[in-house]
Amino acid sequence: MILGLSIDEKKLKIKIKVIFLIKIENEIAINEEKKDKPGILSLIKFYLLPGWRIPEFSEREYKIEKIRSKRRFFRHLLTPLTIAGAIVILSFVFMGIFVPWLTGYTLQELVPPSIPGLPYKLPSPNHPLGTTRSGFDVLARMLWGARTSILMAILPTGLAVGGGLILGIISAYFGGKVDYVLMRIVDLVYSIPTLIIVLILTQILGLNLIDMLMIWGAFAIAGNLRFMRSLVLQIREMLYIKAAKTGGALKFKVMFSHILPNALPPMILTFFGQMAITMLGIAAISFLGLVNAQIPNWGQDISWSSIYEENFLAFLIPGLCTGFFAIAAMLIGDGLRDAIDPRLKI
Amino acid sequence: MVKYIIKRILMMIPMLFAVLTITFFLSHAMSINPLQSDVNVWDMNIYYAEMERLGLNDPVYVQFLNYLRDFFTGNWGESYSGLYNGWLVTDILITVFPKTFEMLIIPMILVPIIAVKLGSTSAKNRKKKKDIMVRSIAVIGAGFPSFWIAILLQYLFGVVLYQVTFYEFDIGIYRANNVLLDPSFPDIIPPIFSLVAVVMLFFLMIGGFYLIYRGNKLRKREEPSTRNYLLLFISGILICLIAIVPIMIYINTYGTKFRLLDSIIFNEPIFFWDTIGHLILPSLSMTLISLAIITRQTRSSMLDVLNQDYIRTARAKGVPERQVINKHALRNALIPTSTLIIAGTTTLLLGSIFIEYIFNYPGFGDTFFSAIMSGNILVINGCVMVATIILLSGNLIADVMYTIIDPRIIYR
Repeated sequence: MILGLSIDEKKLKIKIKVIFLIKIENEIAINEEKKDKPGILSLIKFYLLPGWRIPEFSEREYKIEKIRSKRRFFRHLLTPLTIAGAIVILSFVFMGIFVPWLTGYTLQELVPPSIPGLPYKLPSPNHPLGTTRSGFDVLARMLWGARTSILMAILPTGLAVGGGLILGIISAYFGGKVDYVLMRIVDLVYSIPTLIIVLILTQILGLNLIDMLMIWGAFAIAGNLRFMRSLVLQIREMLYIKAAKTGGALKFKVMFSHILPNALPPMILTFFGQMAITMLGIAAISFLGLVNAQIPNWGQDISWSSIYEENFLAFLIPGLCTGFFAIAAMLIGDGLRDAIDPRLKI
Repeated sequence: MVKYIIKRILMMIPMLFAVLTITFFLSHAMSINPLQSDVNVWDMNIYYAEMERLGLNDPVYVQFLNYLRDFFTGNWGESYSGLYNGWLVTDILITVFPKTFEMLIIPMILVPIIAVKLGSTSAKNRKKKKDIMVRSIAVIGAGFPSFWIAILLQYLFGVVLYQVTFYEFDIGIYRANNVLLDPSFPDIIPPIFSLVAVVMLFFLMIGGFYLIYRGNKLRKREEPSTRNYLLLFISGILICLIAIVPIMIYINTYGTKFRLLDSIIFNEPIFFWDTIGHLILPSLSMTLISLAIITRQTRSSMLDVLNQDYIRTARAKGVPERQVINKHALRNALIPTSTLIIAGTTTLLLGSIFIEYIFNYPGFGDTFFSAIMSGNILVINGCVMVATIILLSGNLIADVMYTIIDPRIIYR
C-alpha cells in the first residue's frame, strides 16, 4: 500500500502506526472487503495537508480504539483473584444445575419428614462426608444447597438493584414532589433496623423462603435508590444529556437510553458487593431457624450440626461453602471495580 | 451548626412516631398467641382474665391509642412471658442494654484504631506482602458468616485450648448468667467512692475544656475570653455538685447495671473477673465482624487519596513520609470511613442478636429474639424504639463528626 517512502523519522513513525493499525484490523477481521484502496490523490493529501485523514481510515481507527479499550478492560479484569472468584461461582452454578446427576439422593430424602439413618456418622463410602443430624448426607445437602444459595444471592439483590435503578432515575430526574416523597420513604426505611423488621415479618408471613427473599430485597431498595439518585444527579448535568434534550428527545428516552447506560457500571459493582452481604444475612436468619426447613439450606445446616458431635465436617462444610460463595462475589466485585474505574468510590 | 442539630433532632420525632406505629401494627399482626408461653396461664378462665387485663381483647386501634397514651407517660407496658415474666418493659431495657454495651465497648474502641492502622499500612505497601496479608484477613473476616466464626472460636477456646483459658474464674453458669440472681447490693454510700467520683468528674471537665480550647486553636477560630471560661467552669462545678447527690443515691441503691462497674463499686472481685471472662469471646467475635469492613473501606479511600496531587506536592516539598501519611493522607482518607465507623456501631448492635444467641449472653439481642419468638409484643416495641433512637442519633453524630474531620463541609 504505502510503499516507496523516504526513510524520514516522522514518516517512519506514521508508517509503523499505520501498519500496526492495519495488522490489528486484519486480526479482528472486519467482514467488509477493501473495495477502494486509497488512491494517489488521497495519499498526496495525506502527506501534504497536516491533520488530514482518509475518512474511512478514521472510521476504522475509531472501531479499533473501541476494541482496544475492550481489550484493556479484559486485561485489567483478568487478574488471578478475579479468575479464582469466577471459577468458584461458576462451580457453584454448575453444582446447582447438575445436582440430580451428581448425587444419588433426591430432594425428598434430604428434608425433615424422612429420617434416613444414624446421626453424625463419620465419612464412609456411602456418605463421603458423613451425615448431619437426623442422618442426612452432608455432601448431598451441600450440593442441593448450592441451588438454594444461588437463588438466595440473586433474587433479593436483583430486586434491590433493579428497583433502585428505576426508582432512583425517576426520583432524580423528575425531582419535586416525587423526589420528596421517595426520599422521605427512604429516610423511614433507613431509620428502622432492617434485620429487626425482617425477623418480625417472618412471624407474620410464615417461614416461606421466597417471601423472605422478597422482603429483604424490598428493604434493600432504599440504599440503592439513594446511590442511584446521587449518580443521576451528577450525570444529568452532563453535556450530552443537554444535547439530547435540545434535540427534542422524549423524557423516557433521555432517562432510559441516555442516563441509564452511563449510570449502570457503578450499580453493577454494588450488585456483587450486595450479593455477598445478602448471602450472609439470609444465612444468619436461616441459622436462627426462621426459614422453611423443606428446602436444603447451608445456614440451616450450620444450626443443625453441632460442633461438639463426632462428625466435625457437618459443621465445617456449609460454613466454608457460604464463605467461599460470599468471598468469590466480593472478589469479582473488586476486580470489576479495578477494571471499570480504579478511582471509583464504592 | 447548633441550629442544624436542633433541626435534625426535631426531625427525629415524626420518624420515631412512624417507626412506633409500624412496629406496633406489625407486632400485632404476628401469628403467635402472646400468652402461649406464659407459665402462669394454665387454665382457660385465667387465660381469659389475663387477656382482659392486658387489653388484648380490645380492637387494635383502641389498643394502639392506649399504648400511645401510656408510652408518652413513661409506662411502656409489661412483659408477658420468658425470663423477665411480669417485669416492666422499661426495667427490662434498663437491665438489658448495659449488658450489651459492656460487650460492645471493647469493639467500639478497638475496631476504629486497629482497622484504620491496618488499612493505611496496606495502602502504603500496595501489592507487597503486608498488603496481601491484611487484604486476605479482611476478605476472610467479611466473607465468612460471623456466627460460624463465633462457634469456631467457642470450640477453639472452650474445648481445644480449655487449659489455657481462665476457666477458674467461672463461678458457675447459672449464677453468672442469670440476671434474676444478681447479688443484692448494700444500701450504704461508701464515702471514698463519692469523693473519687467527684474528683474524676472534675478532671473530666478540665479535660473537656482543654479539648475545646485546643480545637478552637487548631482551627484558628476566635477564642472565647477567659471570663467566659471562668463562668463555664464555675457553673459546671455547681451543676456537678447538684447533680452528683441524686446520681450517687441512685447508683448506690440500684447499681449502675453495668456489671463491671457494679462489681468495682461494691467490691466483688469474683464477679468482676467472671464478667470479664464471659465478655472476651463475644467481644472478640464482634470485633472480627466490623474490623474487616472498615479495613477495606480505609484501604480503598487511602489508595484514592495517595494518588492525589497534593500528596505528590507534599512529598516533593520534603515532608517526611510518616507525616505525609499521617497528616496529609489519613485525615482526608478518614472522611468516608468516619460514617462507616458510626454506622458500624449500629450494625454491631444488630449483630449482637446472633452473637448473644450463640454465647447465651442475656443482653439486648437475646431478649429481643426471644421476645419475637414468644410473641411478646410490648417488649418488641420497646426494643425497636430504643434501637431506632440509637440508630438515628448515630447518624446524627456521624454527620456532626463530618464537620470536625472535614472543615469544608458546612450544614445550614
